[in-house]
Amino acid sequence: MLATVSSATLVGVDGHPVTVEVHVSNGLPGFRVVGLPDASCRESRDRVRAAMISSGFRWPQKRVTVNLAPSGLRKAGSGLDLAIALGVMAADGQLPASSLDGLAFIGELGLDGSLRRVPGVLPLVAAVLEASVVVAPSGAHEARLVERSTVRAVPDLRELVEVLKSGWGWPELPAAATAEDEPPAPDLADVRGQPFGKQALEIAAAGGHHLLMVGPAGAGKTMLARRLPGILPPLSQTEALEVAKIHSAAGIEPGRSTLPVRPPFRSPHHSASAVSLIGGGGARLRPGEISCAHCGVLFLDELAEFPGSVLDHLRQPLEEGRVVVCRASAAVAFPARFMLVAAMNACRCGADGSPGSCRCSDVARGRYAARISGPLLDRFDLRIRVRRPDVDALLGGREERAGVQTLGRAAEASAAVAGRVEAVRRRAQEVRGARCNAEVPAWRLAQVAPLSPGAKRLLERRLRDGRLSARGLDRSRRVALTVADLAGQDGPLLEEHVLLALALREPEPLGPEAPSAPTPSPGNGPKLTAGHAAVQPAPSLELVRP
Amino acid sequence: MTGPRRASPGWPPAAYAAALACLPGVGPAWLVDVLAHHSPDRAWALVTTGELARPARQIARAGPPAAAWSETAPRFDVGGLWARCQRNGIQVTWPGAPGYPTAVAGGPSPAGVLFWAGDISTLERRPCVAVIGTRRCTPDGAAATYQLGYDLSSAGVCIVSGLALGIDGAAHAGALAAVRDQGGDGAKGGDVGSTVGVAASGVDVVYPRRHGALWREVVTLGAVVSETPPGWPAQAWRFPSRNRLIAGLARMVVVVECHASGGSWHTVEAALRRGVEVAALPGPVHSSASVGTNTMLHEGATPVRGAQDVIDALGLFERKAPAPARPSAIAHVTPRDRTASAQRPAPRTPAEARRPAPSAASGPLGALDVRVRAALSWRPLCLDEIVERSGLPAGAVVVALERLEEAGLAGAQAGWWVRKAQ
Repeated sequence: MLATVSSATLVGVDGHPVTVEVHVSNGLPGFRVVGLPDASCRESRDRVRAAMISSGFRWPQKRVTVNLAPSGLRKAGSGLDLAIALGVMAADGQLPASSLDGLAFIGELGLDGSLRRVPGVLPLVAAVLEASVVVAPSGAHEARLVERSTVRAVPDLRELVEVLKSGWGWPELPAAATAEDEPPAPDLADVRGQPFGKQALEIAAAGGHHLLMVGPAGAGKTMLARRLPGILPPLSQTEALEVAKIHSAAGIEPGRSTLPVRPPFRSPHHSASAVSLIGGGGARLRPGEISCAHCGVLFLDELAEFPGSVLDHLRQPLEEGRVVVCRASAAVAFPARFMLVAAMNACRCGADGSPGSCRCSDVARGRYAARISGPLLDRFDLRIRVRRPDVDALLGGREERAGVQTLGRAAEASAAVAGRVEAVRRRAQEVRGARCNAEVPAWRLAQVAPLSPGAKRLLERRLRDGRLSARGLDRSRRVALTVADLAGQDGPLLEEHVLLALALREPEPLGPEAPSAPTPSPGNGPKLTAGHAAVQPAPSLELVRP
Repeated sequence: MTGPRRASPGWPPAAYAAALACLPGVGPAWLVDVLAHHSPDRAWALVTTGELARPARQIARAGPPAAAWSETAPRFDVGGLWARCQRNGIQVTWPGAPGYPTAVAGGPSPAGVLFWAGDISTLERRPCVAVIGTRRCTPDGAAATYQLGYDLSSAGVCIVSGLALGIDGAAHAGALAAVRDQGGDGAKGGDVGSTVGVAASGVDVVYPRRHGALWREVVTLGAVVSETPPGWPAQAWRFPSRNRLIAGLARMVVVVECHASGGSWHTVEAALRRGVEVAALPGPVHSSASVGTNTMLHEGATPVRGAQDVIDALGLFERKAPAPARPSAIAHVTPRDRTASAQRPAPRTPAEARRPAPSAASGPLGALDVRVRAALSWRPLCLDEIVERSGLPAGAVVVALERLEEAGLAGAQAGWWVRKAQ
């Protein structure tokens, strides 16, 4: 007998409908699964058989063939277990085939017959063509984010078969967690001192600029970065669905039953591999950390400790907002439009990097700095130094004691900052047609960010001094645009906006260079060899090194 | 005599002197001793025949693989070494030979065979001052060194230093700038002192590599001297040896910045052994880059504030340090960018009217600028700290800093700001 059951499988972050066809016929007892199953999918044979027997059903002593259609699509994961089990029962006559009409089944079976949640429930449910989907109770609230489908959840195979056979009502869905369950985001008001760091954070959030913080351990770089999602505008409905879909496919447990509102914050450890950051791996191409940070923040702490090759993989996604992972089995595009926030020490010894303070040798410092490639460093619009806060600032003293208001924004709460950030973002969308100021295309800059005469002269001077590169020019201009927006200034960019933008993009964030580089003169002196490496074998070599 | 090439008598004594310096385990003392008794070609002949053998102490230290000189020396390519010297414009001198600097002839640990490129006659014709210090210097220290090098060189003093990163490089760069400003090669008769770099590597091996351009220019406008044979890298023991040469060549050693320990101390000790006067620039008591110099001052080194102090201490009364090349800029704003500021109309006195019109960022200093300047310190501060110390918003601070920098009252290096004296 033949039975067909609907389910879905995951490729990248998208679900694809799969029809499970089960054929039970006379012949030598056996169980075959065809249709490009991967290892975890092929193992379903053993799970399904054990689950049926422990749930009190009969395993047909016949020849069972399961085909996963379309057979050209590679199927990965255990989400097809339930559909296969029901298909076998229907084909064996233990279950009326008609009871499966209009239903799709997604779930992994335990050996005791219980239903388990699989990664990617959300995109899988979104992919099925049927009106109702049966999932494990633990995946129900994720599945319910798809408004199109009716979600049914049952705890185990036996209860499911009873419901299907008898036509009784479906069990109630587990109670949804409420929105209040989400812990509050860390607040900017908790950060003592760091007025400049906070301001840079606000500018980064408002303009969508990538941010690099350089400073000694314990300066509060991580603390600042963690407060970024709290001041970013909340996710829109479309963004939230995208984020939920990616997180579901990545197997990240959603914290709540409604769509996420707060932008995601991902901070992979610096031992992360290239595949874990970018995506890929195995037949089921998993989204990487950069996709999990889609519409949110990717925070790379200890940036210099990441392998250089891994970091350079970020360059293309940073430009394009998505990454295409190509493997022999499939090529999958993952969305990856994230804000990159990174933190690193100024040098290996962990000093604050001020000239003369560091114990590292010049070579060691150069080697440390060289870990971040120039092109990647260039992607950071904002590069700031962060310093350990003063004792006064830590104890909350100086301002109050002296009765001076140091900065209007010193102890501002995230909510107030978020308001300004949102206003700037909205302006970028409405006036400039870009998602944020950082994404204003270069050819539109002259139009949307004209320079005042003073600002123009300043930039010209810096370009002539060699303190600003052509590429840095556009990036500084975008930052200056954000600075002006935050200050509520319309019209051409003033000198002070550009100055702040330039100060926020230090030319040499890593350690001081050797002072007073002399101008090279046309060498008519002797031909010189450079350094140890290029030393010619001296004529005396056999004498020197016996 | 089994080697492919036999030492033919066609080469000048200098070639043999250079070859002697290439012998394994040879140091300046042995070279001075041998060359005092034999001519270089005679000494080389004695080495190849085994009459001059490797000192027993050295054989013990080098272990069994060390071959006797009499085995290796006959195979040594004296001609190749000599060709390399000539190709790279390297000259050779030794005690008693022409060109050997009288300053390092006697005293404790005189120089052995010296290699040089450029013109070392300046060492004889000019009073020489060594300007040395740490590689890990502060921007202030580097600026002070540059100025010292410039002023001393302009006053006709030859600057001797070690071509290292940090203070050494700044000293050479300052002296070279003075030579360039005087219109070329001061060593050839102008009134400007040149600069001589003493290297620990071979004269044609740039170390540190970053100083390639500086190295070439020192060779062009001054000279680079080394005891290390051409083509040889700098070995660790060569650095203290190089430092003693620096001390020997100079009439005075000026230490600009120096940590509690480091190579500068070797130079100072060598100078004290030779009776060369040691001077030091005082620095902030909290700056680790000034701990060494302040200690030297405490122990009796001559305090030096600038070029004039050095000239006075040397007794060169006829020479005068020039007026500072970059004068304090409250009085004089450098003519870089001038526009009338629409925001801050400047009150113009007759004295100000003579100056060029200020730009938006360079008008007379206002209250905010003074407040930001007060927040600056001798210690390099990053913008974050200036914002916090001044209590002003970052936007206002960067504008004030630009104005202060333009007025020469503040300086920045890689984002670290320091206060500058008026």
